[in-house]
Amino acid sequence: MNLPRGLPARPWRLAAEACALLTAAVVAFPLYWMVLGAFRPAGEIESGEPRPWTLAPSLDSFRRVFGQQEFGRYFLNSLVVAGVVVIASGLIAFLAATAVTRFRFRFRTTLLIMFLVAQTVPVEALTIPLFFLMRDFGQLNTLGSLILPHIAFSLPFAIWMLRGFVKAVPEALEEAAYLDGASRTRFLWQILFPLVLPGLVATSVFSFISAWNDFLFAKSFIISDTSQSTLPMALLVFFKPDDPDWGGVMAGSTLMTIPVLVFFVLVQRRLVSGLGGAVKD
Amino acid sequence: MKLPVRLAALAAAALVATACTPQTSSNSASDTDDQSGTLRVWLFQEVGNTPKEKVVDSVVTAFAKAHKGTKVDVEYIPIDTRAQRVKAAFNDPKSAPDLMEYGNTDTAGHVHDGGLLDVTDAFGAWPEAKDTDPTARTSVTVDGKVYGAPFYVGVRALYYRTDVFEELGLAVPTTLAELATTARTIRAAEPGLYGLVVGGAYTYGAMPFVWANGGELAAGKDGSYTSGIDSAAARKGIEQYTSLFSADNCPPAKCAGMGGNDTVTAFAAGKAGMAIGGDFSHTAVEAGAVKGKYAVVPLPGVTAGSIAPAFAGGNNIGVLKSTSHRTLAVELMKALASKKTQASLFDAMGFLPTFTDVRDRAAAKEPFVKPFVQTLAAGTEFVPASPAWSQIDSQLVLPTMLQEVISGRKSVTAASTDAAKKMNDAFGSAG
Amino acid sequence: MTPTTSPRPPGRRGARDGTVPWLYLAPALVVLGALLAYPVYQLGLISLFRYTQAQVSGGQPTVFRGLGNYADVFGDDQFWRVLLATVVFAAACVVSTLAVGCALAVLLTRVRAVPRLTLMLAALGAWATPAVTGSTVWLFLFDPDFGPVNRILGLGDHSWTYGRYSAFLLVLLEVVWCSFPFVMVTVYAGIRAVPTEVLEAASLDGASQWRIWRSVLAPMLRPILTVVTIQSVIWDFKVFTQIYVMTGGGGIAGQNLVLNVYAYQQAFASSQYGLGSAIGVVMLVLLLAVTLVYLRLLRRQGEEL
Repeated sequence: MNLPRGLPARPWRLAAEACALLTAAVVAFPLYWMVLGAFRPAGEIESGEPRPWTLAPSLDSFRRVFGQQEFGRYFLNSLVVAGVVVIASGLIAFLAATAVTRFRFRFRTTLLIMFLVAQTVPVEALTIPLFFLMRDFGQLNTLGSLILPHIAFSLPFAIWMLRGFVKAVPEALEEAAYLDGASRTRFLWQILFPLVLPGLVATSVFSFISAWNDFLFAKSFIISDTSQSTLPMALLVFFKPDDPDWGGVMAGSTLMTIPVLVFFVLVQRRLVSGLGGAVKD
Repeated sequence: MKLPVRLAALAAAALVATACTPQTSSNSASDTDDQSGTLRVWLFQEVGNTPKEKVVDSVVTAFAKAHKGTKVDVEYIPIDTRAQRVKAAFNDPKSAPDLMEYGNTDTAGHVHDGGLLDVTDAFGAWPEAKDTDPTARTSVTVDGKVYGAPFYVGVRALYYRTDVFEELGLAVPTTLAELATTARTIRAAEPGLYGLVVGGAYTYGAMPFVWANGGELAAGKDGSYTSGIDSAAARKGIEQYTSLFSADNCPPAKCAGMGGNDTVTAFAAGKAGMAIGGDFSHTAVEAGAVKGKYAVVPLPGVTAGSIAPAFAGGNNIGVLKSTSHRTLAVELMKALASKKTQASLFDAMGFLPTFTDVRDRAAAKEPFVKPFVQTLAAGTEFVPASPAWSQIDSQLVLPTMLQEVISGRKSVTAASTDAAKKMNDAFGSAG
Repeated sequence: MTPTTSPRPPGRRGARDGTVPWLYLAPALVVLGALLAYPVYQLGLISLFRYTQAQVSGGQPTVFRGLGNYADVFGDDQFWRVLLATVVFAAACVVSTLAVGCALAVLLTRVRAVPRLTLMLAALGAWATPAVTGSTVWLFLFDPDFGPVNRILGLGDHSWTYGRYSAFLLVLLEVVWCSFPFVMVTVYAGIRAVPTEVLEAASLDGASQWRIWRSVLAPMLRPILTVVTIQSVIWDFKVFTQIYVMTGGGGIAGQNLVLNVYAYQQAFASSQYGLGSAIGVVMLVLLLAVTLVYLRLLRRQGEEL
């Protein structure tokens, strides 16, 4: 698969590569503008001259971001929330995806459709019922009130994505395993799980981003204990209605994007080879 | 597998616990009034928050020293999260603080939602309260009862470019009509500048025109309001404001969508001859290209020498109904909103004091705030003290009205009639 | 994923087999039941009541309104205008996102590692940017006074947000920018997994790129395209942040409102949960209908769930 298969003739390939690089430049330009905004000295963002560089790069905006109370704590909390959500939803979705692809049972199709429907619910509308639920669970003001809803909201998509990967593992392998005397649990965790791991990595990207960037739940459920707050909340400080601090917003967003990019680069290889499994039949 | 099992049990319990009506929270006033313990306070987190923290810290330390066995825990919450935070605090009294800072347009809504404690007696008996400016007092009052102490006020005035005025030989306008002609003169001479930069989504920039012409947002008292935005006087003000959106002052294509902050940004960047900005916009303008090239005067009214009534924004400090430290909380409220604290907060953050005497002293010390103090002294206006206001505000009734006129979709008469209808619907349903 | 693979026949592993899938499903069902199904039930319940913050915490009585909230929603002319705009806008977003994502995925298979990684990283960066920031940056870029785009295109001080369609176009560009990476990466991975021989045979036959996509790739990628399409429909129908930030809460006189922003503005921002829930239920039913119709169409083409 690593062979340059299907690569077109030279002039066409060069044209295609030029096209790819041009697209990359266009796509990256808003990102560049964001990072640039973070380094601009005070007042330059609002000035009339949209120069694509800055004459006096300044770290002031970053200082304001880092200068916030407990910034490191928020960062850690965000990592914990995103990490737990990724792992828990991955495992739960793996089990569920195995059930709906490798077994035939009543209500199977109904369930699949239910999983799909679950995603169509507008999140804002659910905040109030979820609030009372979290209160009754005693999870208000803890990271649990962020983790639990995020697991629930990332599960349906994860199950749908993982179905393809589980399906791709040949039936024959399962038969062979049982013939060798493997128990169902052994097959599940020692044979099937490693095989769909790339797929799990792929779906984890989605849950990671949604948990990492969300602030609706953090705004609503973390009430009295700010030490349980997450990174996006630190960003919100800069959106002052009368006098937004754009430099701070850009610096904060740059800092928020970096961990996601790092995560992407780490899983990138797996992601590409992993997602492919969904169509190998 | 332990977690799922526990969750299943909890879910079952929740199902049983809730009958067939949506859940509500019993947020009744607490019976206990502890004389010691920890008081929790929510204040807004400003971008440069450290000076505010310093002032508050000294107040809090003195308070804890004066009241044995008490501790004060102050939390600074981002302004952008306040709506959710406050609702959550009302829903879950256990998480609620004892005191909080809140925007003064939210007073009636918070009272209606059962969140604030009636402190009428304590406020009346507080000697310093007699110097509270009347509009600030209005902003903590609902149906004749007081629900907090004013913390600071914010008010808008006219920023103008001294260099442009000098170059064109212009005088500072003394009436709203002159304001319009001056604006057009600037634009004609300097096509790169807006004359007076205005915004279609800038409600509090538009309202002074309505008020100066004798119009009102709404009339009525004690819970029942009727919109006044479709009165002849109000329409005159709307007409006067929206006529500023034209190619010879501020082209609709660019100005119709602007909010207050956008107009200040444009002025700070040197793109406008004049702008209506707040005392709180000072920092942004100082950081911009026009530093040292501008001055501020009160926004003129209809007749020469008069000042157009401005909207008196700002924040209050209130005690939450669910507090179990009622007496202490009220004491702390007075300490945080006292003359002394407000004077230090002015020095630290530039927040305009709500006491007339403290404000006058501030103006003497810092000439910049003088036009704002003059504006306040000339009399200000406030939004209707009705819980419906938050609905009217979030449904963008007034910006929509202005934009309908500016973009030529509707006449002033039609747009204001529709807006009045929407306002009355809100007043009716919130009653 | 194709009709040729049949799932394991039931009952082969003895009598207990019937309970095994439910055992595997249990954690998912518990979580989804407690944290999604139950709140959705509450949502439906709330939509039948007069239920605002004053009821939740202010001690006002919770009054049963029957279908009153729905009557309010359907009786508002603006709702129907917003609904139409939402459907058209979401459809445009879905089509553009899928077209751009698929085209770039094909492009990725045609280039060497360096340009491929460059494009991939740029796309992932766009995906990772928080929606509020992405929208703000795009607004800066297209600002008539302060933005570089008008300078580059020589548009003077043309305002993108004043006209209804140009404002929608600007938001569409941002939506495509932040959601095409998902499509691109997924479809690219799918193409990589298509056996080499198939593609080689197709190109030896002299088939054009478009033909190869139409008759070879698209059918093989159908399972992935299904998930990607449904996801895009769901996301784009519920778009909120981009419209809210870029058009200042719904555009000049509300010209750019979409359903989710409308629900927020009319109901949630002023804590009218009853009314807001009714709008939420309407959205849920609509999306459900769209998804079911789409799945049915797929089924008719022989796609199995």
